[in-house]
Amino acid sequence: MQYVIPVIFIAVLLCAAIKKVNVFSSFSRGAGEAVKFVMGLIPLLACTFIMCELFERSHLSDAMSRALSPVFSVLGVPSELSKLILIKPFSGSGSLAYLTQIISEHGADSYISRCACVLYGSSETVFYISVVYFAKCEKKRRPLAIAIILFATFISTIVACLLCRIM
Amino acid sequence: MNAIFTTIFLLSAAVMCFTAPADFLPAMLDGGMNAAKCCLTLFCIYVVWMGLSAVAEDCRITQGAAKLLSPLCTRLFKTKNKEAVESITMNISCNLLGIGGAATPYAVKAVNALEKDKNNYAQELLFIINATSIQLIPTTVIALRAAAGSTAAFDIAIPSLIATFVSTFTGAALYIAFNRIKAKRAAKDKRAKCST
Repeated sequence: MQYVIPVIFIAVLLCAAIKKVNVFSSFSRGAGEAVKFVMGLIPLLACTFIMCELFERSHLSDAMSRALSPVFSVLGVPSELSKLILIKPFSGSGSLAYLTQIISEHGADSYISRCACVLYGSSETVFYISVVYFAKCEKKRRPLAIAIILFATFISTIVACLLCRIM
Repeated sequence: MNAIFTTIFLLSAAVMCFTAPADFLPAMLDGGMNAAKCCLTLFCIYVVWMGLSAVAEDCRITQGAAKLLSPLCTRLFKTKNKEAVESITMNISCNLLGIGGAATPYAVKAVNALEKDKNNYAQELLFIINATSIQLIPTTVIALRAAAGSTAAFDIAIPSLIATFVSTFTGAALYIAFNRIKAKRAAKDKRAKCST
């Protein structure tokens, strides 16, 4: 797998060199677009991150995951994972931190950490993505799409826990 | 997002007022710091991948790939916008390869291109496909497990693949179904209006 990325770069740059494209100016044009793009994101990300930090530090997320853990356990989802499931839609780095914590606490090959890994690998930070994607759009809120995504992620969570038990 | 932001902010602030009032401002500042770090990381990722994509564009690689997949895209996303189809194609290929960092800028490009046509349907479908995560190999997680001393770090690859397929399929199918129902209802309303 680690060969994929260098090979892609080599292939593209070779192709450009053969076609006599000015690689340097093209690359810097793209980098310039990246600057504009990130500049537009900063205010939106700042708000999102402040919200996440408050949510975490006020222990509201703990309370919520404790309240939800009976529901999860009925569906076959271990209660240790409820916090990860709650954080994942909001914060990628937060959930990554929590995933490492779970792995070190329960051991890399335990059922809990395997479940946690599958959950982490098969879901995305929905709210963050929605901010990034629709930053320049007139219609910034997409409630139907977000509801569908959360529902689909929830279904896949149950499937993931089931799969880890049998596989 | 406004409703979520306001509710969570107010609730957390109210709770912290009682439990840890001194921690309130530091928490927010940490949030800002995290945002700055995240922006820097994103900047590094985007500079590399958008630079590469600009080179690929200038030597017409992206156009070629888009041509191959455009029949599928036009049907699924109901768009004939060439720029959007190109970006969607690149977004999906990057996702499948597990280079999530490269996928996001293409998705944003596609969404902005679709904005010109006011094509909300395609924007949201692309959003759903990305937010339910399509990935053939979850590279980050495998690396993490290997680092933690797992004996079989790759054994979560197949369950992950099935789980992400389930979520992407459920999401896309639900969204398409919802839209069909909406379209049918709109057509019915129109007919009802015409008959009266």
